[in-house]
Amino acid sequence: MSKSNAGEVALSRRSLLKVSGATLGAMSLGGCLGVLDDETDRDLDRLSDAEVAYGNCWMCHHACGQEVAVNDGTIVDITGVDGHPRSSAGPGREGTLCPKGLAEMEKAHDPDRITQPYIREDGELRQADWDEAFEYAATRLKALDEQYGAETFLNAASWATTNLHEIVWGNLYGTPERIGRGRHVCFGGAHLSGNLMGVGADMRFVDYQNADYIIAWGRNLFESFAGQWEPKGVLEALDNGAKLVVVDPQHTPTAQKADEWLPIEPRTDGALALAMGHVIVEENLYDEAFVEEWTYGFERYREEVADKTPEWASERTGLEPGVIRQIAVEFAEAAPAAGIALWTGVGQYAESQKASQAVFALNGLVGNIDRPGGLRFWRGPPFSNPFEVRDIDLPNNAAGKTPALRKYEEYEKYPFRHTTGIGHNQIPEMVENGHIRGMYCHYDNPLTDGNTQAWLEALEEMELIITVDAYWNELTRHADVVFPEAIQLEKDTLIDYAPAWSAYHENRWVSASKAAVEPQGNTKPGFDILKGIAEAMGWGEYIPWQSEAEYNEDMLANIDYSFEEVAQENFVILDEFGYEQWKDSGFSTATGKFQFYLDEEDGYRRSIEEVDEQVPDVDLHTGPQWVPPGTFGDTPDGEYPLHFYDTRAVFFAFGADQVLDHPREQYARKHGLASEEYEGNYLVMNTADADERGIETGDMVTVATEKGDGEVMAYVSERTPPGFVTAEFGFGQGNSKEDGMNTMIVHDGQTDPISSQVDRHIAAEVRKTGGD
Amino acid sequence: MGEQWMFYFDPNRCIGCHACSISCKQRHDRDPDAEDWRTVTHLSQGEYPDFEEVPVSMSCMHCHDAPCEKVCPPNAIEKREEDGIVTVNRDRCIGCHYCAWACPYGAPTYGDDGLMSKCNMCLGEGPGSGHGQPAKQKPEDGGAKPSCVDNCVGEAIKAGPVSEMKAEASGAAAERFENGAYESRVIVEPIAERAPLHEDTDESSDTVDNRDEPATKTEQSDTQTAGWLNG
Repeated sequence: MSKSNAGEVALSRRSLLKVSGATLGAMSLGGCLGVLDDETDRDLDRLSDAEVAYGNCWMCHHACGQEVAVNDGTIVDITGVDGHPRSSAGPGREGTLCPKGLAEMEKAHDPDRITQPYIREDGELRQADWDEAFEYAATRLKALDEQYGAETFLNAASWATTNLHEIVWGNLYGTPERIGRGRHVCFGGAHLSGNLMGVGADMRFVDYQNADYIIAWGRNLFESFAGQWEPKGVLEALDNGAKLVVVDPQHTPTAQKADEWLPIEPRTDGALALAMGHVIVEENLYDEAFVEEWTYGFERYREEVADKTPEWASERTGLEPGVIRQIAVEFAEAAPAAGIALWTGVGQYAESQKASQAVFALNGLVGNIDRPGGLRFWRGPPFSNPFEVRDIDLPNNAAGKTPALRKYEEYEKYPFRHTTGIGHNQIPEMVENGHIRGMYCHYDNPLTDGNTQAWLEALEEMELIITVDAYWNELTRHADVVFPEAIQLEKDTLIDYAPAWSAYHENRWVSASKAAVEPQGNTKPGFDILKGIAEAMGWGEYIPWQSEAEYNEDMLANIDYSFEEVAQENFVILDEFGYEQWKDSGFSTATGKFQFYLDEEDGYRRSIEEVDEQVPDVDLHTGPQWVPPGTFGDTPDGEYPLHFYDTRAVFFAFGADQVLDHPREQYARKHGLASEEYEGNYLVMNTADADERGIETGDMVTVATEKGDGEVMAYVSERTPPGFVTAEFGFGQGNSKEDGMNTMIVHDGQTDPISSQVDRHIAAEVRKTGGD
Repeated sequence: MGEQWMFYFDPNRCIGCHACSISCKQRHDRDPDAEDWRTVTHLSQGEYPDFEEVPVSMSCMHCHDAPCEKVCPPNAIEKREEDGIVTVNRDRCIGCHYCAWACPYGAPTYGDDGLMSKCNMCLGEGPGSGHGQPAKQKPEDGGAKPSCVDNCVGEAIKAGPVSEMKAEASGAAAERFENGAYESRVIVEPIAERAPLHEDTDESSDTVDNRDEPATKTEQSDTQTAGWLNG
């Protein structure tokens, strides 16, 4: 780290005053072209008579409160809601929106949105009215059920604002096939570890404001966050004197703000964690009372880490032994007010289940679980089930049906069938085998999520695809029915997707908003779409609610506020809940305790046994253990010497926001590439790798893997280590923004065999396009 | 006359997300590909892993000495008495770009009409809209909070009368401001020392170099960030 005498970093840059010479010419032309329309010095006055309305940001689906100014049916300004549990740092604090949330204003009035239902006729999609589209969908669904059985239809809905899709496809249509995101394409390895060990899937979030020590382990939480309460909370913790440690191969915006940055060798997180465990046990820094009373498998864990010294880990991680020791000691001494935030970084490579297990073991050791400043057991609001509130006698037509993955012997080669019912990468194979013949997608594009080439073929083969979306892409173009959904700002919404973690660390809360503007064109809320399908199928009696807001009202049966009252305020803070909740309820695991070892978890044990048989050079057990990179996943070699990994930028959530101009323009400007005609993603590569290949920033390059090639623009930077290249996902073939490279087009179906998580790490080579 | 307004920036709280640039564009109804009134520049130096990067958010600073106003041939630029906000009367602007040459921050931008527009602290909405507006009011008095301030995720940007900004700043930042750092045009927090590097190599030596290139070359008139971080 450079230091100047003044204790601050001094940076400077060459000055290149660049006046765009074109403007003077444009000006003289302007007179003839009429661009000098009388717009000088005229105040727009859009805000002075605008009305205020609210939203709950649905760009990354983490529901930051939005305050919008609406003038004559148009949204003219947008900002965050002060004090909101997700968009502020807490009570009375400024509410803001990140670039994605701000861009929802652009999305509301984006002329490129799909604004009319479409159905497939004679092989072509054509516009239809709603009734016709519902009838068509029902006819096709009935035919699929008669010919192949409803169990061949997959519910792949994501981020719907109600759970109605589960009812329509599971209870009524009767399919057991359901794929969500967390376990399959988001952070499956860590998701599985967290759930089975007893910290749940919320181990991603620390009780930030109360923490003295925060380790962002493969988490870039200043750029990729689940609501702005996260970066705001960490900044506040830093203000309060907390220490931030970042473990990441890349120098991220989070590393910029860190007290300690550990530039670890990719995929060696497990080694670092085991060595930290070794130090904490050796130095007797663990929480003996907690370990004794509330954990399972500690003695075996102690044996496992006995020889995992910092020196041992140093050889694998590239980190100094002294540093490993120091971080371990500091973390344990700060505990319980010490938390580890871990998400996709140790969740998206093939060995990530074992790696994350080694990291989570540290929580059990130091006893930071659901204690102030450590991990938090967040609690959502006590929503009711509207079907129970109305005494509706719902059938369960999926009862007794087994998901194909567990039913057919073709899939016995997949050990993860014991821990999950389906895997994203394996769906194309299931389509080929005739076990999946149709699919319902809602705001999710499987073509961004892995095994893309196989998925493209599967889309061709499927009998029936029903999508609910706002943009055209390879998925919607392949669909038989395209239902255009109104965006969140155009519909009444009660947030029921993960309504737990927030800046209010000790309170439950609820957030809602009424439509700020009319749905664009002929679009409808997702709730109305599912209700329409259900009515056309003859299930109208089961869905008596006239609107999503009415359904939401029944969800609030046990909460002292009506939908209207919550929406009026945008959010309401509810009752308090204390720490150490496990003292009353134990841990939701087989042993009721935090588990270092998972032998009591049947599915996991069986899956480990099978993986152990399949992979000869590793001796697997159910506890935390070192699984070297390459044991399950790719290892870079002579032909493909680089690690290729995909990342996220603060400007985009998944594959749908890249079409919006404001965030994409800023993404290009951040990289200094806005003058290029190219509007795709960038391959970040180190100078040494680039020089060796004659590549400079702005060059088009080809990323080649075993599976195929993709073309992308290079951005040469020292923020990434030599040998490690990355690109933003959600661009390119198959996505709504087709410029750039779909990172998963070169993916060959790599999977974490224990959790089914898509392994997003691929061995690759990069060459200048058109070069030798 | 009213007290001069100014901006405050804390690079330690800026997460480099560009929400300020986008909210500014949306507030003033400007096209995404128009030049930014508020830019974010990512300055970096060093070689991996001895690497550092700092995001810097900048706009017109409404300088007390307004160099742009001094050079404007048709006197289209006004340093307002009542609040110190620098506005442009686009009815007078001739699009000569002198202001861009004079500005230390690359603040003036030029649209297809050739006329200058820039940040007006959200005194109005739209290019040229600040000109002739009544004195800037604080949010508690019904004035609009500048959109960049209103939407800074890290609360790194603040705006207000000089005395208030000094009170908001750390002692070190206020002292530097008093001593003429950044020509006393803006208050900037000193960059905190963070991220001592830990890897399996010898201690790296300090390399403060005034000739470093930025992480990016911005598309528009260069913002002389040197003045910023060496103030």
